[in-house]
Amino acid sequence: MAAEGKAPSLAEEYSLPSQEVQLQNPSEEKSAVSTVAEVVPEKSVETAPANEATVAVEETSQTPEVKEPSDEPEAEESSAAEESGEAAEESSDAAEEAADEKPEIKIETAPADFRFPTTNQTRHCFTRYIEYHRCVAAKGEGAPECEKFAKYYRSLCPSEWIERWNEQRENGTFPGPL
Amino acid sequence: CRFLTIALCDAAEPWQLGSQDAATPMMQGIIDLHHDIFFFLILILVFVSRMLVRALWHFNEQTNPIPQRIVHGTTIEIIRTIFPSVIPLFIAIPSFALLYSMDGVLVDPAITIKAIGHQWRASTQPYEYSDYNSSDEQSLTFDSYTIPEDDPELGQSRLLEVDNRVVVPAKTHLRMIVTPADVPHSWAVPSSGVKCDAVPGRSNLTSISVQREGVYYGQCSEICGTNHAFTPIVVEAVTLKDYADWVSNQLILQTN
Ligand SMILES: [Cu+2]
Repeated sequence: MAAEGKAPSLAEEYSLPSQEVQLQNPSEEKSAVSTVAEVVPEKSVETAPANEATVAVEETSQTPEVKEPSDEPEAEESSAAEESGEAAEESSDAAEEAADEKPEIKIETAPADFRFPTTNQTRHCFTRYIEYHRCVAAKGEGAPECEKFAKYYRSLCPSEWIERWNEQRENGTFPGPL
Repeated sequence: CRFLTIALCDAAEPWQLGSQDAATPMMQGIIDLHHDIFFFLILILVFVSRMLVRALWHFNEQTNPIPQRIVHGTTIEIIRTIFPSVIPLFIAIPSFALLYSMDGVLVDPAITIKAIGHQWRASTQPYEYSDYNSSDEQSLTFDSYTIPEDDPELGQSRLLEVDNRVVVPAKTHLRMIVTPADVPHSWAVPSSGVKCDAVPGRSNLTSISVQREGVYYGQCSEICGTNHAFTPIVVEAVTLKDYADWVSNQLILQTN
């Protein structure tokens, strides 16, 4: 909390390790407090659920490559998209090999767009979705330069919206200009 | 926070009057602005109450039975009109500066996380991490359920803990996309200085950059209905490497 020397607030008092503060009724509180200290770190491990055996193997063999977003100028985008495509292939491979290898995680997402400088990003998502499908219509299915738009709209759009739009495109009722 | 091992330092505490500790520059800005304004608020309060008490004290029936005949005084009227209207102007400058810096929409984020408000899936808040998708169907999605009232573990806050926390990397620029699937909700984490309304049919953006690792608690802050109002939101900030580990583990779990 704010000042070191201050008397601890109520919540701090409850959460302090037992040796730091003498509580009013130590017998009950101490047990609770020490369990807190033990439980909490375990909790954070549990939240990242993992097959323990695989983790042990992986920690020695391979750690996922973490790339800072600041390292990548925008010019690299297309190559980045290809790389992440490879990463995704790796992930499906890994699933087949019973999780022998971790998929490589690339920290990147749709960039900020000067066309959509507001809090409301609905159009941003919609536009990226349309851009992707126009790109595919122009360059053919699976064109590598379209992949980045796919990544963008997947990052930006809620999956329910994508599902609904995909359905609408199949039925020919999609409201956007395709 | 003094003790790094204690998770609950970033939750609300009983009888708390002030803000929670800041975890983002935004929240720090909010707290600083609050304190700055409060300084002037106190000055005004003291000044106004002094005038009021003084007037009541000196000009009542006992001490001053004959009313004063003054009906106007140009100088004092100008001063008391101009001065109070200048004060809000001075308050507005830092306030707007903070407001616009909080938008931060045009900064390239590193990660996009989608929080999707669901009312009818009782007490849950689904999250989507779709930066790592390779198709429309495959997506890193999980539900964040409230730990029910009758079985929190020791040390967990009642109705404030969830089973799957939102894991985010610390010191990284995050883009939160907030949208509901039914009625309006509001995604709020006080120590991050974030409260973003989720409006049906619209996706709102809020950006956060958590500066220290820790677990941050918030709640759905819209009166959105049974089973969801006050649904807890728990953000766990970890290192970038741990985040990548977590994501790859989640991907393996979900593809299997
Ligand atoms: Cu809600």
